[in-house]
Amino acid sequence: MATLFQRVFSGNDAVYGLTEGIIDKAIEQYGEEKAVSFPGTAYSLPCYYAVTGTKVTNLKELKEALGVVKTLMTRENELNDVFMSGVATALCAEFIEVIKYIDGATPYEEPCYGHLGDPVIRELGVPLVTGDIPGVAVILGSAPTAEQGVALVKSYQAQGILVTLVGGIIDQCQEMGYKTGANVRVIPLGKDVTSVIHVVSVAIRAALIFGNVTPGDAGALMTYTKDRVPAFVNAFEPLDDVIVACGAGAIALGFPVITNDDKDVPPIPKSLIIQKDVDKWNATSLEARDIKIKITNIDIPVAFASAFEGEIIRKG
Amino acid sequence: MSDFKLTTIDEFDAATERLLETGRKVGADSWQLRVKNQTPHCKFGEQGICCRICSMGPCRITPKAPRGICGCDADGIAGRNFLRFVAGGAATHSDHGREICHTLSTVSRDGNYKVKDPEKLLRIAKEWGVETEGKDIYDLAHEMAELALMEYGKPHGVQRWLSRAPKHTQEIWHREEIEPRAIDREVSTAMHMTHMGNSSKAEALVRQSLRTGMSDGWGGSMCGTEFSDVMFGTPKPVDTEANLGVMKEDHVNIIVHGHDPSLSEMICEYAEDPEMVALAKSLGAKGINVAGVCCTSNEVAMRRGIPMAGNFLQQENVVLTGACEAIVVDVQCIFPALGPLSKCFHTKFITTSPIAQMPDSDFIRFNARTAGENAKKIVRTAVENYVNRKPELVHIPQLKQKATVGYSVEAIIKQLDKVANSQAEPTGTTKPLIDCITSGVLRGVVAMVGCNNPRVRPDSAHVELMKKLIKHDILLILSGCSAQAAARAGLMDKRAKDLCGAGLKRVCELADIPPVLHMGSCVDISRMVVLASQIAKDSGLNISQLPIVGCAPEWMSEKAVSIGNYVVATGIDTYLGVAPQVTGGPKVTELLTGGIRDWVEAAYTVETDIEKLGDQMIERIEEKRRALGI
Repeated sequence: MATLFQRVFSGNDAVYGLTEGIIDKAIEQYGEEKAVSFPGTAYSLPCYYAVTGTKVTNLKELKEALGVVKTLMTRENELNDVFMSGVATALCAEFIEVIKYIDGATPYEEPCYGHLGDPVIRELGVPLVTGDIPGVAVILGSAPTAEQGVALVKSYQAQGILVTLVGGIIDQCQEMGYKTGANVRVIPLGKDVTSVIHVVSVAIRAALIFGNVTPGDAGALMTYTKDRVPAFVNAFEPLDDVIVACGAGAIALGFPVITNDDKDVPPIPKSLIIQKDVDKWNATSLEARDIKIKITNIDIPVAFASAFEGEIIRKG
Repeated sequence: MSDFKLTTIDEFDAATERLLETGRKVGADSWQLRVKNQTPHCKFGEQGICCRICSMGPCRITPKAPRGICGCDADGIAGRNFLRFVAGGAATHSDHGREICHTLSTVSRDGNYKVKDPEKLLRIAKEWGVETEGKDIYDLAHEMAELALMEYGKPHGVQRWLSRAPKHTQEIWHREEIEPRAIDREVSTAMHMTHMGNSSKAEALVRQSLRTGMSDGWGGSMCGTEFSDVMFGTPKPVDTEANLGVMKEDHVNIIVHGHDPSLSEMICEYAEDPEMVALAKSLGAKGINVAGVCCTSNEVAMRRGIPMAGNFLQQENVVLTGACEAIVVDVQCIFPALGPLSKCFHTKFITTSPIAQMPDSDFIRFNARTAGENAKKIVRTAVENYVNRKPELVHIPQLKQKATVGYSVEAIIKQLDKVANSQAEPTGTTKPLIDCITSGVLRGVVAMVGCNNPRVRPDSAHVELMKKLIKHDILLILSGCSAQAAARAGLMDKRAKDLCGAGLKRVCELADIPPVLHMGSCVDISRMVVLASQIAKDSGLNISQLPIVGCAPEWMSEKAVSIGNYVVATGIDTYLGVAPQVTGGPKVTELLTGGIRDWVEAAYTVETDIEKLGDQMIERIEEKRRALGI
């Protein structure tokens, strides 16, 4: 059985290999000078920029950046190496994602959002700071049943928590006809696991915009996200090495991961928590992230929360 | 950013050097000088091959004289000397434990000593199969005291505390015949075996060394710790300060030094007595300041947050400040040098125990039954001495650090509960710690203990090893003078987390602990073997499989060797920075550093290069991890 650290390293290696391939192919196809950028952001590749202080403008620089990422992939058996490997995984995901946007492409379509522009963050930032949005849930994979998945999403939504979705849970919401969208604070990001970077990007830009973290100060960045961005990850089984590596990145930023995968995943107090019962994920996650919500339960037949404020009621 | 900074060994040394200047001014002797006078040491003694247990000798082993007059060879002599060394240590801890049990038999609702932790008493009673239902807690305390005292001399059976160990460990002890019977019996057997014309076989002597050590750790010391908790409260996290800077120039400074908390607890009580405080003020002092040296300091720091002035090799420095009104001592590790030294200053050197009587001291006999009046008299003597201070000799080095201490097993488990998710995980276990170790966030645990020894630059091995280990995500549990070295350096300040690897740092932040945990005095190393047992039970592993090692980098006393023996016999590899005096006996040396592994699944490693000692501990921990596939 591989240790947790080996799984993170192997997941990171897999993503790195993939990223290298994709960048090389893009260079072959478009040439080194081809511009790369995300739409609607002043922070270049926000994650890479925040961690290294360097902006990336074209494929040549992206390839160089990959070399920098490689240096984060140290392989000692210590948590720092695992954290950095997790961060490296996230940066690779950002590289893969940005290539999707080459030539102003729109790689994501309804209901998925993919990359979120700066205005969305500025809009969400204030309620995040005031506590109106008490937390950010990142739900990854497919729930055991669509009902359970939607119930989980709804439970967070009713608490005013911002919910982001990656992978099978998006289909499950659609299947159940559950309304999603930034206006109701349930944001499907994308079906690929790499699309999770778009919520990481939100947390990181929050640190740059509101936390005044200097780009390149990775330590300050991680402290800010740990102390100030109340995010957590809910990852459904099965967790493959890539997801485990992404999880390490989340934990590095201070975000606990809650999963129902109890095979080959050793729990880590306050960081990687195994909760077989998905119905308890809400309570488990809030406790893990020290999110305390004072709820006055108004006994009404519909859900009630600030998240529904932007909801659009269509005719029919 | 925080302005936190460790105090360096250089700063320690500079402070000492400044105090020695005062000493030279008043013509004081010092251990530094006496070390010079004793160097070089006798090689026969150093190697353990000088025998003086009968009057045919002294004999010594040389290539030309490979046997003593009785025919005993080098291994016989080294083994016997080692066993006597262990017996000395075990007797010391055990007698300390016995005193505590006697004190327990004096507890009463309105007496000097009370039951402060009735829950713990009930827990132990249950463990020992004593009926508690409907019993007055004080009657129960007296009954338990009697039972505990019987552990010292019962004719049949083995130590009750052994049942706390995992089954596998108990089986080893039984199989290897190292289960301690009555505590005193093992010391007596050791003395018997080492008499002229008894055991001279290395295996037999080493085996009895282990059993004698066991009678300490799983007998006498455990009695001391457990019943001290019952009477004085089970330690929980408390903030305090450490190093000489805790002494106050405008206060009456009373230093408690020694081991038994029965004395120091009472001194602390009376130092707060309004009558005594008023007396101090009437004599021009701002108040009474109690600080500690050595293990009695650890005891009152753990339970009351009383500041720690220093460890073993600081004891003379305390007097050299010229601001010590009284150094009040009971037993063990007290330099007789304090007598003549205190005569160079106004300091009263107050001995209190018939066990430790010294020339040039004021003997105020301390007794559990008259503890209150004894303590009051001692405090009064100190306070009245304030007027005799010689201001021109006063210099208190302004070095001190904050420390959070008080990590008993109970407190550690309570702290771990805070990081357990109540929705998903059990509480009241060591599981969060096991999870951290299994996942690799923590690589392992090192129990660092032991003394100072002039053979090592004071505290340098303790502090350097700790810095190295925490950087490598290894959690440290500490006791004794090792713990005080950490506290004085600043490693028990929670801000020291920034010196850790990412894993330990995260653990410190989430569990709100410093990276090195003070578990108490030297008898409290019994807490460590209980903790190891608990971890083994909660994880389903054997103690010897856990990535845990013990270390005594600057050990000096017989007690330390007794401790080493019970730690090894419990299945925990133990690393020594000072060589035991057995190197002249090849078989004995081989057994201790290898052979006993076949018996108890652990052994000693001796390495005087401290850097290498640290590397070897890390490597051993990683080796254990690999064996577990974690």
